[in-house]
Amino acid sequence: MNGGRREMRGRNLIQARILRGVILLLFGVLVVDLFILQIVQHDYYKGQSLQNRQVQIRVKAPRGRFLDREGRVLADNVYLADITLPRGAVTEAGPDSTLAKLLRWFSLPQDETLDRLREQKEAGRPRLTLVANADMPRIATVEERRRELPGARVEARASRRYKHGPQLAHIIGYVGEVRPEEVGDEDDHRAHQPGDTVGREGLEAAWEDELRGESGLFLKEVNAVGRVVGSRDIPLWPVVPGGDIALTVALALQESLMAAMDGRPGAAVALSLPSGEVLAAVSNPTYDPNLFTRGISSREWNRLLDDPQHPFLNRLVQATYPPGSPYKIVTSLAGLKAEVVGKWTHFEPCWGSYRFGNRNFRCWRRSGHGDLDHAGGLVHSCDVFYYQLGLRLELEQLRDVAHMLGLGQETGSPFAAEVAGNIPDRVWYDEHYGPGRWTRGVLLNNAIGQGEILVTPLQMAVLTARVAVNDSDLVPHFRLGGDDASSSAGRPLPLDTGDIEWLRRTMTRVVDMGTGTRARLEAIEVAGKTGTAQNPHGEDHAWFVCFAPASAPVVAFVVILEHGGHGGAVAAPVAARWLTDFFAWRERSSTGGA
Amino acid sequence: MTQDWLPRASSGTILIAAFAALCLFSLATLWSVTEGIRGPYEITDSGVAKAVFWRQAIWVVAGWLALEVARRTSLQFFEESAPLLYLAAVLLLVTVLAVAPEIAGARRWFSLGPLRLQPSEPAKIALVLVLARLFSSYASRDRQLLPVIGSLLLATIPLALVLREPDLGTSLVYAALWLGAVFWFGLSWVFLLSVGSPLLSAIFNFYSESVVHQAWPWGAYLLVLMAGLTVARFRLLESFLLVLANIAAGIGTSYLWDGLKPYQQERILTFFDPTRDQFGTGYQAIQSKVAIGSGGLFGTDYLQGTQKGLAFLPERHTDFIFSVVGEELGFVGALLLIGIYMVIILKGLQIARAARKSFSSQVAIGVTIYFAFHVLVNISITTGLLPVTGLPLPVMSYGGSNLVVSAFMLGLLVNIGSRTFES
Repeated sequence: MNGGRREMRGRNLIQARILRGVILLLFGVLVVDLFILQIVQHDYYKGQSLQNRQVQIRVKAPRGRFLDREGRVLADNVYLADITLPRGAVTEAGPDSTLAKLLRWFSLPQDETLDRLREQKEAGRPRLTLVANADMPRIATVEERRRELPGARVEARASRRYKHGPQLAHIIGYVGEVRPEEVGDEDDHRAHQPGDTVGREGLEAAWEDELRGESGLFLKEVNAVGRVVGSRDIPLWPVVPGGDIALTVALALQESLMAAMDGRPGAAVALSLPSGEVLAAVSNPTYDPNLFTRGISSREWNRLLDDPQHPFLNRLVQATYPPGSPYKIVTSLAGLKAEVVGKWTHFEPCWGSYRFGNRNFRCWRRSGHGDLDHAGGLVHSCDVFYYQLGLRLELEQLRDVAHMLGLGQETGSPFAAEVAGNIPDRVWYDEHYGPGRWTRGVLLNNAIGQGEILVTPLQMAVLTARVAVNDSDLVPHFRLGGDDASSSAGRPLPLDTGDIEWLRRTMTRVVDMGTGTRARLEAIEVAGKTGTAQNPHGEDHAWFVCFAPASAPVVAFVVILEHGGHGGAVAAPVAARWLTDFFAWRERSSTGGA
Repeated sequence: MTQDWLPRASSGTILIAAFAALCLFSLATLWSVTEGIRGPYEITDSGVAKAVFWRQAIWVVAGWLALEVARRTSLQFFEESAPLLYLAAVLLLVTVLAVAPEIAGARRWFSLGPLRLQPSEPAKIALVLVLARLFSSYASRDRQLLPVIGSLLLATIPLALVLREPDLGTSLVYAALWLGAVFWFGLSWVFLLSVGSPLLSAIFNFYSESVVHQAWPWGAYLLVLMAGLTVARFRLLESFLLVLANIAAGIGTSYLWDGLKPYQQERILTFFDPTRDQFGTGYQAIQSKVAIGSGGLFGTDYLQGTQKGLAFLPERHTDFIFSVVGEELGFVGALLLIGIYMVIILKGLQIARAARKSFSSQVAIGVTIYFAFHVLVNISITTGLLPVTGLPLPVMSYGGSNLVVSAFMLGLLVNIGSRTFES
């Protein structure tokens, strides 16, 4: 052994001790770290490992379907596949992240897509939808390359399908995604969660609770890429599917009414008698509710919103019109009730106009009707006759009969947006014009259904139906076998039965020989009343209200064509066309159905 | 008087037994990884093919041969051929950069039919040997600077090449091998301070600027350094230069940081806060901790690990194999595995110190550092103590290059040990 070697060994003794010390220290740190992880924090990580692989999956209840009265499906659910990512995916960076890979493979516009995902994240969605309603190649890509795409999932989503979209848009309405303020408690799986759908309009909104059902909760085993493994789904809460709802509407009659309306703006509704079941109801123009479930573009949305025809307006219950001449039914009944007029009473003859104070009130027929009795006044819709009748009445007497027949108040339809309209009385005029600042001249306008009177088409249908079957409790029903269907055997109108009988006979003559001859059917007697309502917006609205058969009514029908012109010329043919189809349908279903 | 930590006589037997134990441990764990999950759950494909187990079994045989070759070849042959082996290794590293196909964004492998060779692994052996040769030839002389600078050059060439692949983990191994060799050769405190303190400065500066966005950690470090230099009565000029080097290293780090690609920055930041990126880089770290932590004292039992079986653990057959051991065999199993490595490392230190020839001693310390660094860093990554970077667990992780090189290293150690004690 030489000196150098000894020196080296001596130095190495210190180095060996240092090295041994450092290595032992580092291994010591490692062991302590493992001790902390595996012993001290074991419970936490055990929980994490459970959480890793057991996920609580909220299973949405399938929304109830809408059926027509003959069991045809009007609205149901279709299942679409979405490609979704976990919420954390947006903040992720790096070229090998799941999101980056999918953006590349699907050639998605990066900034736009990221904005969309961030929006969803802010809305509180549990998972973010990268591709909604994905096509097969994309679904296959995600399914086959799962291992390269941790977090990505293909998820089925139920989407509402309106099979006869525009036909029933205003009745059924549509669904939309819940708004942040409607979202319930995060831990309550049955409450609305972000991404859920709720009824937004129409019956979808009105019967939301029943259609929605109850979401369930399941415990599932998943692997690292989110694929559900094993067959052990532990149900924590069962799914309660939403209930199907059968409407009183018959699809065939709805289609025929759409055809009869021929796209003209306005509304029409048919009630089955004596039940009050709505057989068909159209509000024109309409829209396609499927736009909302497929995702409507903002351009399309704005175009519909800005449309001067207001396609979103449900004219059946949301639009109010002056009733015009069909209101003479109210005036006649009020006059008979107040005994200011008899069934055969003659007033002064009609020479085309009537002078009240210093103003001339014109009859629609400039040449005049000559001498008419009460029935003649109604059959020919003579305004001068009704001016004189009106002057013999008080506003309250008119109002009471109007209310009795369902005008000026909500019909009790399920539509949240339904409006009441207006039947003015003295209080109303005092409020709007000031006491003493209006004259009895308003009675002349009120008597012929003009002035400040405003009604909805559905109210007019109720009026027609109540008169037709002498039932003061008749209300429209949209639901087959609905909760209040039993109440249809209602009380008769608090009027003289003879008066009602006289009115019905007279309305038959309107169609037979008066203003409503265009509504005549070959084999069946129709009772009706035409109307040509003046309005400040332009051409007159054309009304026609009727029921048939006149002697034993089974259907009441009301139609208004906005700015259509003469009710007798324009609206009555719509009634004739639909009633023909209706009686054919009735024949078919009574022979074939029973 | 020398001190012995382990019995001397059977050193070769102990090392070979440790190697055999690791091989069995590895195969058992790989069998489990390729099994999928059982128990109350439906059996599910774990995503790692059974072939991985069988291939590793073949590699164990190859490793055994490598160990025997290293054990039976004369050390003099290695000493003489060290420069040649080194040149060959560097040539291979250059070639791999030039011709190898890009796999997963990196050029690290040669493809020979079904085999994939990673030349950066055998280069570890070449580096150990060439550094040992260099330092041993200066062992009895008083010059320090020349061999240190020379060794730095020798280490930097493969390090730079491997960084280009890019393979940060392996380049860190080269750096550790060089540092260990220099340390064993013997160096003054001044040298250690002038290399070590700027490195610390860089880390502190990074922590200040990019993680907490506050100046005080770096500032505090500089103050402590200056106080330490004053207390230790360093000469004024030396102190001044040291502090200057520290400041330069700190500021340089900022520039280096800005030069990194965003995803590289993200990876480093994620280390400091794994929740930043739960589905990217941080995912591995989090899942590994969950697997190990859920193991508890005795583990979930062999073949029963769900994190492994449900594929929550990425790289569970390669770099993260320790997590599977931690989950299925628990704290006890993890300690057992660490114990086997401790035996190899302490035995290595003992052999290095007892070696008669300087070359042998340097080689032995190289092998010891190789194992210690790999094991410490790999396991620290799985427990989340260090950021994720690709580094296998010697012998345990699936992969032929790693197994054969580790076996060869062990063979060298047995070789040196037998010559020291048995003659």
